[in-house]
Amino acid sequence: MKLKESIESVRNQFRTDSDPFPSDEASLNSLRIKYIGRKGLIAGLFSGMSDVLPKDRPLAGQLLNELKIEINSFFYEKSNVSKKILTKENTDTSLPGINIPTGHIHPLQQTLDQIKSIFSDVGFSIAYGPEIDDDFHNFGALNFPPEHPARDMQDTFFIDPETVLRTHTSNVQIHLMEDQDPPLRYIVPGRVYRNEAISYKSYCLFNQVEGIYVDKKVSFSDLKSMLEYFVKRMFGDNTKMRFRPSFFPFTEPSAEVDIWSEKRKEWLEILGCGMVDPEVFKSVNIDSNIWHGYAFGMGVERICMLKYGIDDIRLFYQGDMRFLEQF
Amino acid sequence: MRISINWLKEFINISLTNEEISDKLTMLGLESEAAYNTSSLGNIVIGEIKDIIKHPNADKLNLCKVYDGKNTLPVVCGAPNVKVGQKIAFAPVGSILPGNFKINKAKIRGEVSQGMICSEKEVNISDEHDGIMVLDVDATPGDTFINYLNNNLGALELDITPNRPDCFSHLGVARDLAAKLNIDIHTPSYDKKSFSKNIVKDMINISLEDPEDCPRYIAGIVKDVNVGPSPDWLKRKLESTGQRSINNVVDISNLVLLEMGQPSHIFDYDKIDSKQILIRRANKNEKIKTLDEETRFLSAAELLITNGKKPIAIAGIMGGLSTSVNDKSSTLLIECAYFNPPVIRKGAKNLGMLTEASKRFERGADPDGTEKAMWRIIQLLEDVANGVWIPGIVDLYPKKIKQDSIKLRRLKLDILSGCKIPDEAVKESLTNLGCTVKKNDGEWICKPPSWRPDIKREVDLIEEVVRLYGYDNIPSNLNYQGIMNDGIIDPHRSLSKIINILTGFGFNQIFSNSLQSSRKISALNFKSVKMLNPLSDKMSEMRTSLFQGLLDTANFNFKNGNHDMMLFEWGNVFEQEADGLEGIKEKLYLSGLAHGFYLKSSVHSDESLPASFHLIKGIVGALFSRLKINDINYDKFEDISIGLEDTHTVKVDSEIIGYIGKLSSKFDNLLNLAIGESYGFQFDLIQLMKLADIKNEYKPVVVYPSMIRDLNFVLDETIPVGEIIHVINKNGKNILIDSEPVSIFRDSSIGDNNKAVAINLIFQSSKKTLEDKDVNPVINEIIRVVSKKFSAKLR
Repeated sequence: MKLKESIESVRNQFRTDSDPFPSDEASLNSLRIKYIGRKGLIAGLFSGMSDVLPKDRPLAGQLLNELKIEINSFFYEKSNVSKKILTKENTDTSLPGINIPTGHIHPLQQTLDQIKSIFSDVGFSIAYGPEIDDDFHNFGALNFPPEHPARDMQDTFFIDPETVLRTHTSNVQIHLMEDQDPPLRYIVPGRVYRNEAISYKSYCLFNQVEGIYVDKKVSFSDLKSMLEYFVKRMFGDNTKMRFRPSFFPFTEPSAEVDIWSEKRKEWLEILGCGMVDPEVFKSVNIDSNIWHGYAFGMGVERICMLKYGIDDIRLFYQGDMRFLEQF
Repeated sequence: MRISINWLKEFINISLTNEEISDKLTMLGLESEAAYNTSSLGNIVIGEIKDIIKHPNADKLNLCKVYDGKNTLPVVCGAPNVKVGQKIAFAPVGSILPGNFKINKAKIRGEVSQGMICSEKEVNISDEHDGIMVLDVDATPGDTFINYLNNNLGALELDITPNRPDCFSHLGVARDLAAKLNIDIHTPSYDKKSFSKNIVKDMINISLEDPEDCPRYIAGIVKDVNVGPSPDWLKRKLESTGQRSINNVVDISNLVLLEMGQPSHIFDYDKIDSKQILIRRANKNEKIKTLDEETRFLSAAELLITNGKKPIAIAGIMGGLSTSVNDKSSTLLIECAYFNPPVIRKGAKNLGMLTEASKRFERGADPDGTEKAMWRIIQLLEDVANGVWIPGIVDLYPKKIKQDSIKLRRLKLDILSGCKIPDEAVKESLTNLGCTVKKNDGEWICKPPSWRPDIKREVDLIEEVVRLYGYDNIPSNLNYQGIMNDGIIDPHRSLSKIINILTGFGFNQIFSNSLQSSRKISALNFKSVKMLNPLSDKMSEMRTSLFQGLLDTANFNFKNGNHDMMLFEWGNVFEQEADGLEGIKEKLYLSGLAHGFYLKSSVHSDESLPASFHLIKGIVGALFSRLKINDINYDKFEDISIGLEDTHTVKVDSEIIGYIGKLSSKFDNLLNLAIGESYGFQFDLIQLMKLADIKNEYKPVVVYPSMIRDLNFVLDETIPVGEIIHVINKNGKNILIDSEPVSIFRDSSIGDNNKAVAINLIFQSSKKTLEDKDVNPVINEIIRVVSKKFSAKLR
């Protein structure tokens, strides 16, 4: 087929002629006229169509069209480039790229999302609850008797003598157990408040993630494995960690989890945990002879600070772009 | 609580290093760390002062010869307490002391000085800086100071949890460690002294108003006491825990406190003129001057030790000045008591006093320890202060503290621990901790010791067993249970998507304080939730809107030179809609603002795009498009209460889910804003997440080509383009798929109060290729309706 060969030859010719692509307006125009002008090579090929056998015409037409599109789009692309650049001798590729607005996800959000995803992966649901709650849900039901010394640990903001800004998201544990029968398995993220002087290491509020798992046979051993899994996913497979005995009114036995910092050569506390105290079950009418559970709680800020080496908790709430842009 | 390691070693025979002891205690739940930071004491050695002569050119300086184990070096020293023969902490030339203080070879008033003799402060031991630190005489010159410190003054700082009052003492800590290491414990003698006639009973008449408040009260009397300085061993012992020696009587009381955790109080017997003690609650308006010479105003919450009329001590908290011991005292009345923990706690809290005594009483002292402490104090007063015991004691114990036996079931232990702790280990742990243990079939019956008020239930015993068995020894059980929740897995599951979209558009996420000043809150008229005990005026109320936090953040960054900002935050806001907790409404919002330029002109383009109403509208539209939320309507909204001006509601399915507009100028003054105008949005996040969760269904792609037509209307300037578009869309007869304004032209040629609006109409049918004859009638109808309704003309 003669036309087919002619098409290929025009294509090759164009590829040679257009490399390098003319940088001045005049030679660009003559190139344009040579190929896609009214009497140009493409037009010439189209007029040759009449010599093609009718049975070959569809294929020939398709090939010719393809060439026309190729050449047309080549001119279109080249001439559409910003005039500023085209009018120069060369494209200055050393100029910065076009500025695209970029937003940043807050490091606390990133840490929280990661915590949520780790626990949802192994079957925890996620629940939320009120930041302002009554004394019963924040203290009483969690086995803080009115005169319990543990209240020393959490100095609390009061709205009225019976209403507090929750000091932990454990209040939601109580709501969950009031509202549904075991078994249940949840994590509860949210803001909590402490009446503490603000410094680089403490703020009047922070984000906590509480976890609770209640079933017939839940053991300290299960708790250990769960938190080991969490620590490995959060801080890496080789993280060294330890469980050491501690005290919380709402768990017995209780433990604190530390991870080893090779950089600081010390153990760093990352969360508290333990087996749900029978008194807590009693306050929500769950029979502690049948049901057992574990609970844990961690500060998102603390985990985030350890992860990124942030040394001042106030940075999270200041909104300084020079800080936020780093995440 | 500071624990001296040498003191601990008096009770238990251990050869562990200080660090090992610290680790063991930590793993027992007594969080521990070295009391002194020795990291920068590495160069300091023990020196001996060989000779002292007066500095020839300075009255207050001495010229010492210090032997450092190898050489004898000249050192200029200004301390008043320096003496020949003393062993001291010597910092040689080249050492760097805490605080990056480098010791150089120096000439001080013409005399060469090669090093420094350190005070306690200079080596981080205490704040003492009045003189040099004098070490034990048997210290060896040339030894490192760190070794000396570890061996002689080694101490641990323990963080005692509130459930372990017994560990506020060396004996208590030793007991726990001995139980873990399975070794014996040796205590000083706490034995009773025998007597035939109780003389004390006749010397003092003691009565209790309410045995509930004071279940046990013991008093003893020692006469002919020589109040004076303590012997060196006693001073050193107290100093090893960071306490200063006061006099032998006070020191003995403190020694027993630190040794066994039992607070005591010693009265000058002669100053109790009534020879009577009545323990009762304080009356309103009663007051007492305490040992620290402060006058305390009392209330019925406080328990008092009185002489029958007037208070002579605040029970379990602090003694009174009027009956205090001084140099002239000779006959002393010793009080060892067990007070009801909540009473002491309440009293101490009311008075704002936290003393070594109250700390122990309010957590629960050892009711049996009271008597032991009494005998120990009497013995020490005889040994150390030449006292003579007057035979007999008064021991009022009307309300015996009972400790019930507790059953520990093997089954429960196995379930909770998740492993099988051997029988012997269970029994050994509990016995070592001081419980009396009886083994039955599948269970143990235990009676806890008097010093463990925290052990009341089976689960408390389980904790003790697991704690001593070692948390490290509990295996991890990787056999994880399956799915159990059939409800909603995460009610916030579309939040991440929303955050990703907004940050993709260039918005930065912030977290701001939920506690705000009433001044900031007052910018909006919502009734806020107020705190009874705010941290400060700046944080006295709960936020009612996210806008203040966003504006503050924008302003903060603006002042730091960052003028272009797109910010958003999600979180709860709070409103006190009615009284009480029931009336507090927590609302989850997503709000954002844009300030300055979204796009700035650059080398690539002269165009810039400042923040504007339409930018926000565009962002919201794009967000919704990504979330697949359709049928959005923006309607003008006159209400400015939410903090926006030129507000438009954002409606989906005719329900308002948010607002867009310009941030109200009401904020400017109240927040002291330096920034210019900004535009923002506020959404009900719950509703937004709900809409984002709705699944959209696939619609077949239309394969027929579309047809584009332009219409250019000239009409009155005041007519909103949106209304024209609305009318055009209504008359599209199912083939108009989109209509979009492409340009607005204003020129006197079309009339001064007119504008020409060019609108792009796109027609497409899902059934066939449209032709002019299909489209023309629709266009004509559109022209007719628009012309009529808006008095528009085609241009």
